[in-house]
Amino acid sequence: MKSLLWRLAGHLTRGLAMIWAVTTFTFFLIRLMPGDPVQVQYERLIALGMSPEQAESGTAMTYGFVPHGPVWQQYLDYIVGLAHLDLGVSVDSQGIPVADRVFGAMPWTVLLVLSGILVSFLIGVGLGVVAALKRGNVVGHSLSIAGSLLHGVPPFVIGILLTALFTRQWRWFPSGGIYDADLVAPGFYADFMADVAYHTILPASAFALASYGGWLLAMRSSVASVLGDDFLLAAELRGLTRWMRFRYLARNAILPLFTVLAISFGLVFGGAIFIERIFNYPGLGMLLFASIGARDFSMMSGSFLLITAAVIIANILADLLYSVIDPRVRRQT
Amino acid sequence: MKRSVCAIAAALAITLAAGATAGCSPSKPEAKKSGGTFTSIDANHAIDPQAPINPYAGKGNAFSGYNAMPLAFAKNHLTDHNQHFPGIAESWTVSSDGAEVTINIQPKAKWSDGTPVTSEDIKTSAAVAFSQGGSVFAITPGSTGALGEVTIVNEKTIKFTQAPGARNNTFLRSILAMWVLPKSVYGSQLPADFWDKIKAGAGTTDAAKAARDEITALGKKIITFGPQKDVSAGPFVLESLNASEAILTKNPNFFNADKIGPDKVRLRNYTGNEQIWNYLTAGELDTAPYTSTPTNVVEQILKVPGSRKITGLSQVSAALVFNQKYAPFDRVEVRQALAYLIDRSEVQKIGEPDSGKVAEHTSGLIEDAAKQWIGDPEVSKLNPYNVDKAKGEALLTQAGLTKKDGKWMLANGQPFTFKLQVPNGFSDWVAAGKNIASQLTNAGIAVEATTSADYAVYQKEIAEGKYAAGFWLIALGPSTYNAYARLYGGANGWSAFGGKLSHKLAGEGGNWIGGAETANIAGVGTLNPGELTYQLSQMPVDQAKETIIKLAKYTNEQLPGIQMWNYINVQFVNSTRYENFPPDNCECLRLTHGVWMQLGYIQPKKQP
Amino acid sequence: MIAKFARQKPGRENSNAAIAGQLARSSSPRRRFWRGVWVALKRRPSRIAGVAIVALFIFMAIAGAWFYPDRLPYDVNEVYAPISWEHPLSTDNQGVDVLALVVTGTRGVLLVAAAAGLVTMLVGTAAGLYAGYRRGAADSVLMRIADFVLTIPGFPLLIVLTTAINVGTWWKMALVLGLIGWGGLARAVRSQTLSLRERGFIEAARGLGLPTRHIVVKELLPNVAPYIATNLLIAVTAYIYAQVGLYFLGVLPVDTSNWGVMLNNAVFLSGALISPDALPYLLAPLGAILLLTLGVVLIVDALEEIFNPRLRES
Repeated sequence: MKSLLWRLAGHLTRGLAMIWAVTTFTFFLIRLMPGDPVQVQYERLIALGMSPEQAESGTAMTYGFVPHGPVWQQYLDYIVGLAHLDLGVSVDSQGIPVADRVFGAMPWTVLLVLSGILVSFLIGVGLGVVAALKRGNVVGHSLSIAGSLLHGVPPFVIGILLTALFTRQWRWFPSGGIYDADLVAPGFYADFMADVAYHTILPASAFALASYGGWLLAMRSSVASVLGDDFLLAAELRGLTRWMRFRYLARNAILPLFTVLAISFGLVFGGAIFIERIFNYPGLGMLLFASIGARDFSMMSGSFLLITAAVIIANILADLLYSVIDPRVRRQT
Repeated sequence: MKRSVCAIAAALAITLAAGATAGCSPSKPEAKKSGGTFTSIDANHAIDPQAPINPYAGKGNAFSGYNAMPLAFAKNHLTDHNQHFPGIAESWTVSSDGAEVTINIQPKAKWSDGTPVTSEDIKTSAAVAFSQGGSVFAITPGSTGALGEVTIVNEKTIKFTQAPGARNNTFLRSILAMWVLPKSVYGSQLPADFWDKIKAGAGTTDAAKAARDEITALGKKIITFGPQKDVSAGPFVLESLNASEAILTKNPNFFNADKIGPDKVRLRNYTGNEQIWNYLTAGELDTAPYTSTPTNVVEQILKVPGSRKITGLSQVSAALVFNQKYAPFDRVEVRQALAYLIDRSEVQKIGEPDSGKVAEHTSGLIEDAAKQWIGDPEVSKLNPYNVDKAKGEALLTQAGLTKKDGKWMLANGQPFTFKLQVPNGFSDWVAAGKNIASQLTNAGIAVEATTSADYAVYQKEIAEGKYAAGFWLIALGPSTYNAYARLYGGANGWSAFGGKLSHKLAGEGGNWIGGAETANIAGVGTLNPGELTYQLSQMPVDQAKETIIKLAKYTNEQLPGIQMWNYINVQFVNSTRYENFPPDNCECLRLTHGVWMQLGYIQPKKQP
Repeated sequence: MIAKFARQKPGRENSNAAIAGQLARSSSPRRRFWRGVWVALKRRPSRIAGVAIVALFIFMAIAGAWFYPDRLPYDVNEVYAPISWEHPLSTDNQGVDVLALVVTGTRGVLLVAAAAGLVTMLVGTAAGLYAGYRRGAADSVLMRIADFVLTIPGFPLLIVLTTAINVGTWWKMALVLGLIGWGGLARAVRSQTLSLRERGFIEAARGLGLPTRHIVVKELLPNVAPYIATNLLIAVTAYIYAQVGLYFLGVLPVDTSNWGVMLNNAVFLSGALISPDALPYLLAPLGAILLLTLGVVLIVDALEEIFNPRLRES
């Protein structure tokens, strides 16, 4: 237990150092981007049809929120703010605290990513076992090919196809949004959750379909490796039933996949942008994308930070999880 | 900050933490009444549940015409920028010199909490407007035409007086555009001596600067402020929000409540044009804002039962503008030659087939506005630059270029080639740019359409003068000053401050068009377009005709840009649930649909 | 190589021993290797199809542009033309033939993806090998950098980079993509190098006084090569996906001829999802991406079997 705590402490320190490194890198990189948030807002309002005076009034206050002063000073202020969990204020939204917006959007991305990954994991692992066991014949081969094909196809492509089919061709699902504010109000009760689920099914499926292939291939390799191990032969010789042998097989084969599962949670945060764009799902990805277009420096830094933190936390969890799940690792520590 | 710590704790609980977002109203909404829920889209900005219910906030949840009301709504009149529909202001009178505006508040105007809208509310609104700055509420020493005095005459009458000094004929328009805010909510945000500070800030002393800084700081504070519960003088009150839609319910205390048809309004978020097309073809919208839509999609949308188009005037024009610092664009013959070589109808057909009309003349205004201002005969005297390859080539030869092997060469022997820059995301400009590039290449000038990463980069780089040619929105009426200022204002070196006009050289201070300061126009003489434009802001509107004729001739001959198409405001509506939409060319079309409702449109369809 | 084959359990159907024996009779190890490849390919005809598909695309990338003029002809009256011999895949919103667009767009896509893959391979392999071989301080530093590269969210970083730097030219784009993706390969190569170290033959080589370069190139590299090969192909598909994605989001300039640009134009400019007229304009690049991915997947399937024989039937 003590060693576990030490490991955790080590991970946390490394994680914090990594967060600091990424934050610094993105901070300066973002400042390199050409474009002035005030001008962007102004011309956007003009393009929307406002008269120049209205547009001017609309952007008059934005200037006050653009950070000025030498970059080093801005950086130090930002780091100090971070230590107080203050992520700064948005330029484009004229003063709304970044933390509010970012943490408001995060649960939606988490919901989408979690459900998508879990579904794809379950499907992929299940089909992967079948593909490995049947890898001699057409069934196994086509399962693997189909899996890798879908894995190689960009998720937004699948998203587009799903949109076309299920929101227009057959109107089974809504074309966007998170819940119907006219019908339900937020709260932990069945109707609300059902509505949220109704709106999340399509984007999560797009995600799941696009990534189950990876799990299928990984599980297939893993099962194939384990199949060659001696203990299975020994189990068969000892007369254990097929079901018991299958359990041995599955349990051992799935071990390495768990760490990858935990890591992929983190990675997926960044890639959710496409799905959110297509399905009008207001998560972190959309926030980041919109803030890039608006040159909202503080919002960009904040979203980047959160996504990176998610990746790092997922990595830490992966490592801890592995030591918990795999007794062999535990024995070593 | 406390809120963010709370939010972190909530977010880390990876459950359906959706309960941690948006409102805290655990009660379920009431059952629907007979007026139904009207679904539309908020085109101005993404819906942000964390933003305050403040019309000044960029992403604020106060929606114009629904729960945010100005004094009056500007009509989309062809020439008169002072025409308005009444808002909180029932009527207004303007003194003969235009310096004094007296507003009469709607007698029945009430806030959603039952209290009446009084002059005190208007005065508070003016104070908040000063804290935000911009247009006539600017407190910069030397700015022209700012607001000077606000005087309460009686409970329902208030007077605005322009500051002494230089005039600006957009005074009335700016005053009427002011947002009306409740004193009960915003009064507490303003210090007691706020009006004294405003007076003090107009000077040039150190104390004045300190006062101005205080006002700016206050402005920053106010823009993030909003009431917990919406207090609205408009037809609707904000009820609930989530990150993809806002729900508003009817305000029974609205002064024209019986005119309003729907019981509820749902404003949805959108991330791109194709999403609006999605919603429309799925029949999920009752109305949609203006979206640039290709013809094949329009056909699909119109196939949905009940849907139709409403078209109206849009005083915006897309033009191909040159940076005259890049040879040979400094030669007017070359610019004219390009106008002869480019087939604008083909460009419009590719770029904006449905929501655009080919610009027949390059005059600096949209065609209809030009005809209204200076009359048909004058407009027909302008050169339409119809496609004429021979004339174009003759002009190029005149400018010193030679044609070799079908390709045009500059006088110095280099091939005549340039890059046409368009911003990513403006699909109509991208398509048009590609088409223009193809057309000119076929004519012997190797043109390449290149794109900037996004509009921000495009803006910055065009202002820095990096591109030889690019797209630019001009003819922003109805104020002719605004329209011509796009061509002869800051982008071309002219800036007016404190009643004085100054001109910067090409490449300095944001002057990227780099046009000549004066030019000799056949039949009129030497003209300075910057000065003429500035005069348009000073003189009374009914005396502007001569100046506009001169500017139109100048623009038509000197061609700082070639007008490609004038936008048509196309909006799609669906009459399955609601009927009685505004007619084509209604002067209300460019206003939000909440304003349409206030004018009596959009009534629930009577069920048989 | 042969040792790997021989470690199989006896009694397996595909007679690895027989193959091993047959290969052992061939002259050089290299020829034995390619023979093994051919056998693996022949086992399933779908794999030969995969090779054929990828070869077709490579041909299109190299030679495609030669069949068409520099500026593709357009006809504004032929927008979304019905499918005919003249326009087998219809036309786009400017009246340009879609088939021509797909063929000429191949070069842009494949060039960037291949170059990016090359960058990743070079940087990742070098870093992984060096870290695994040297260990110590170099290992720590290199792996910290690799972790850094792995942790930064890829797509958001790409979006920011493409606006901050002008990645108009193909090699700039390839460099940016390649430098973002080498972390995974470096880690994999490093762990493989580490496990190879345990095997003793490196100790033996050093004991023999062989120079580092020899050890790395002649001993380590061939053993790591399988990972690199499979990883490379997968990385190339990932880079195609990344490019197309960035064009789709609209952050890369849409003035190049590229499948991603076509997708973007089809969905956002032409409403291909809504109006059946523009559907071929959408399906053509989609189909090209699918086909190319299929080809690569089939090849990788063959490679996996060549390098991991346990995946053959039981």
